[in-house]
Parts: sequence; C-alpha cells; structure tokens
Amino acid sequence: MKYIPTIGIECHVQLATKTKLFSEVDNDARGKEPNSCVSPVDYALPGMLPRLNGEAIKFAIRAGKAMNCKINPKSRFDRKHYFYPDSPKGYQITQFYSPIIGAGFVELPSGTKIRIEHAHLEGDAGKLTHFDTYSLVDLNRVDTPLIEIVSMPDIHSAKDAHDYCKELWRLMIFAGVSYGDLYNGNMRFDVNTSLAPEGSTELGTRTEVKNLNSFRSVERAVEYEIARQTKLLDSGGKVKQETRGWNDATGKTTAQRSKEEAKDYRYMPEPDLPPINLSQDFIESESEKLPLMPSDYRKKYKGSIKEDTLEILLDYPNLVRTLEEIDAKNLTTIANLFTSVLLAEEKSAEYLESLPSGQELNELVEMNSKKELSSTATKEVFLRLFDPQMKNRGVRNIAKELGLIQENDLAALEKIVDIVLAKPETKKAQEDFKNGEEKVIGFLVGQAMKESKGKANPSAVQEILRKKLLH
Amino acid sequence: MEIKREDILHLAELSNFSLTDEEVDKLGDDLDGIIKYISQLNQLDTDNIEPTYQVFEMENVWRDDEILPQDADREMLLNLTKEEREHQIKVPKVL
Repeated sequence: MKYIPTIGIECHVQLATKTKLFSEVDNDARGKEPNSCVSPVDYALPGMLPRLNGEAIKFAIRAGKAMNCKINPKSRFDRKHYFYPDSPKGYQITQFYSPIIGAGFVELPSGTKIRIEHAHLEGDAGKLTHFDTYSLVDLNRVDTPLIEIVSMPDIHSAKDAHDYCKELWRLMIFAGVSYGDLYNGNMRFDVNTSLAPEGSTELGTRTEVKNLNSFRSVERAVEYEIARQTKLLDSGGKVKQETRGWNDATGKTTAQRSKEEAKDYRYMPEPDLPPINLSQDFIESESEKLPLMPSDYRKKYKGSIKEDTLEILLDYPNLVRTLEEIDAKNLTTIANLFTSVLLAEEKSAEYLESLPSGQELNELVEMNSKKELSSTATKEVFLRLFDPQMKNRGVRNIAKELGLIQENDLAALEKIVDIVLAKPETKKAQEDFKNGEEKVIGFLVGQAMKESKGKANPSAVQEILRKKLLH
Repeated sequence: MEIKREDILHLAELSNFSLTDEEVDKLGDDLDGIIKYISQLNQLDTDNIEPTYQVFEMENVWRDDEILPQDADREMLLNLTKEEREHQIKVPKVL
C-alpha cells in the first residue's frame, strides 16, 4: 500500500549568550574542562536563586522573528520535574504554558512553508558520559539557554526534513543567536514520524527519534523510519508509539528502553522568576536588529547568482553579506570565486574568519576584465586576499609582488615578439607557420611568454605574431 | 481527595526515593492532612479570576549578560559530591 509520511520536528538551539540563562557563569564551555563553567546556582545548592539573563530574551525575540513568528508579550517560566543526574535541581526551568515565541513559519529553499507551532525558552541539562559500571556528570551545559522550536506536522519527506533542519540552522546563524556548531551539539533535533495510508484523513501512530545532531542523520533516520514502518504496516503489524535512538554507524533506529510509567512532570509555575511582560516598543526595537535572512537574499539575488551557487553561499553568512558590497556586474564572478576557489581551498575555514573588503574584490574583478590579470592569476591573487601573510596589502600590490600583472602595452609586447623572432631556434617554426602550419603559433606564443616571464597577455602576443609573420 | 498508597509509591518512584512501609504510611497520613487543609480553598468561588503565578506583582526582572566571579570554585563544588573522577561527578550507572 502507498503511505503518506507525516513528520514533525522539535529542535533545541543553544543560544550564544555570554552567560547562562540563570547564572552569571561563562556559557561557552567549548574546549573547557568539565565542571569549570558552573556556579552554585547550576549546582542547585540549597537557597540558590535563578537570575534571568535579559540577553536571552532579546535573542529569543530575534530567533522568533527569523522564523516569522508572533512574539508573545506575556510569557513565564514553569518547573518540569524529573529525576536524573544531569539535572541537579530535579527539575528543568522551561516555558510550558506561556512560551515567548508564538506561531510562525519557515520557508524552505524549494518554497515549501513549514509552520512553527511555538518556541520556548528553557535551560539545558548537564552532560552524562556512560561507562561500564558508572556514569560521569559534567554540569558545564546546565542552564545554557535553549530555545526549543516545535514545528507543525507539515513535513512529508526525508528531504524536506533535512532541508527544514538546515534552514533553521541558517536562520539561527544569520540572526546571530547561536554559534550553530552542530559538532558541539549547539542544535539537536527530535523527529516524529508517522505513516498514514494515502487518502486517509487520520495520522498514523508516530515514533520519536531523539537527539539527532546533523541534517544528514535527520534525513537518514526519517528514511529508515519510513521504510521500517511501511514494512511493518504492509505485513499487518502495528507501529508502536515509542522513543527510538539513532545509530549513525548502522544507519538504524532502535527502540529505547522506556519506563512503563506514563510521563508525569508535575509542571508548576516557577516561583523564583517573575513573569515577562514585554512592551511593543521593546519587541519592535529588538526585531529591528534582525539582519537580512536567507529568504531575503534569495529574492535579492534571483537572476544574478545561480540558485545552486547561492544555496552553497547561504551556509556562510559573512560571504553572503560581503556580496552586498560587490558591484552588480562583478557578482557572478565573485560568487563563483567564493564557491569554486575559496571553499575548495584547504584552509578555507581559517580564511573565512576575516574577509577582504568588497572594494578589494571589485578591484580584482576589474583587473581581470581589463586583462591585467589572466583568469589563473585572478584566482591566485583572490586567494592571497584571504592569506593572513598577504592580505591588507592591496590587490594591485599583491599582483605586482607575485609578478602576475599581464603586459598589455603593445609597444612593449612588440619588442618581446621581435626578440623571439630574432632567435635562431624560432626560425623553423616561423617558416612552418608561413607555410600554413597553424598550430606552431602556440610554440611561438610560448616563447614570448617565457621571454616576458609569464607577464605578457597571450592573446595580444598572438595577434602581434600573426601580424608580423603574415604581412 | 484521599491519598492512596499507590500515589505515594508513584511519587516516590518519580523522585527516586525508596521508602519503607512505615514511611509510606506516615507520608500518606501527612499528605492527607496537608491536602485536606489546603482543600479549604475549594470553598472559594474562583470563577473569572486569573490564576496567581507570582505574589510580588513584579515583572521583567532580569540582569545584564556579564560574566561575574562566583563564590564557589570547581573544587569546592566537587567536594560536595560523594565521589568524583576526572573532575566529574561519579554516579551509579544510569540509562
């Protein structure tokens, strides 16, 4: 039977605030020792009180606006109780009843819109590492601010699930609210998948695959679940509502041991944090800080940059932003240099940290159009503009230092051609050419290039050679 | 509402407490008393009244996003744990 998959995704985004959501402790624990970014508040010592980070509220507004969401002026926090060693408090502070971010939508590159149900602020849990007979607890991540983004079940394929997660990632990095470092778990996805027979008005039973940390694993996990559930349903079986874990190595999901007991989080209002009541002015002034988003760039560069090229560039906000300083006539060239030269370069990650100005890039393309730089030389100078050893010296200086500027001065080129033609070893080639052997022109151009130490403009040289030999 | 043994055991399970039979009985009696006392509030008519989430009538209490030194360092905090290993808190295997 043919089934229609329906997919809903919950995404946790770690916000890149300086301090944690409820304590004045360093929130960026990347590369730091375990339990080194921890305060007595995170440790939940008796009598400790949470102190709300105002920046997290501002970030949440921007994140919400990036997803075209309504911002709820009134929101508040609740306690979600559960017992687990990753949470010293014994509860998570979250927004269960009144989230700060309301309904909105995310538009995929294909144009498909995925509605957002809501998104709320909450504190992250600590990290557990499991060993044979014990587990170790690192509380660095406790109460890192998160927004949990809950989509509507609007996704119907593994590819759209992938594209949705990737677009969310782009929105968060363009909005500047998250480092978006997936390797370090800055974004984690829980994916709900169900199948319903084609034409059915009811959704099937769903499974939840938790804690996926790459777009590719989201796509593969959905593919796997669709195949598994299809086989199960076709053979007369029933899908069990359960939480499943993803194994990247085997490419399979497996049922996770779950407690018999129904979840009972005993939510209650968080008494230590007064409610949030934002004025329209406050919401608007934060919303205005939202820079252009990927969808804005898609509209802006439609027709001037190829879609495929732009989609690659949209993974790098600073590259796309640099394009804004590029003259319209140079856009295609620069966009192509970014994708085919810069991103192909081994050191691209390092180079991306500090980019040349739009003015320098414009100058480079102009030197190429004036034939002062060959296309190979253009690529070479282009890369040097990112090289910490070379950059900031100016495009022309770099090209000069590398001896890459082409000789276009006709008088100078003629002199070079004369020297070549006077050489005894070129006599035979000259005769052959005059006798109609077209291809020896390449040899003569090569000699002139050698004579000019590679600086001559080869097409100009060829023209002069033809003139001199045939007239 | 009367507190049943199962309710106590359910709550104990959620909080990872192991209770003796006597404790279950004692807690049941205590909670029963507490809930009966609080149940007096049910006599009030609360229709059309916003629930109270916070009694101080404060709003928008938040701080700047600046890192501040803490009263306790890692060693002090880890000293409070039963067992530590590689600067982490060692706990019985979970999962």
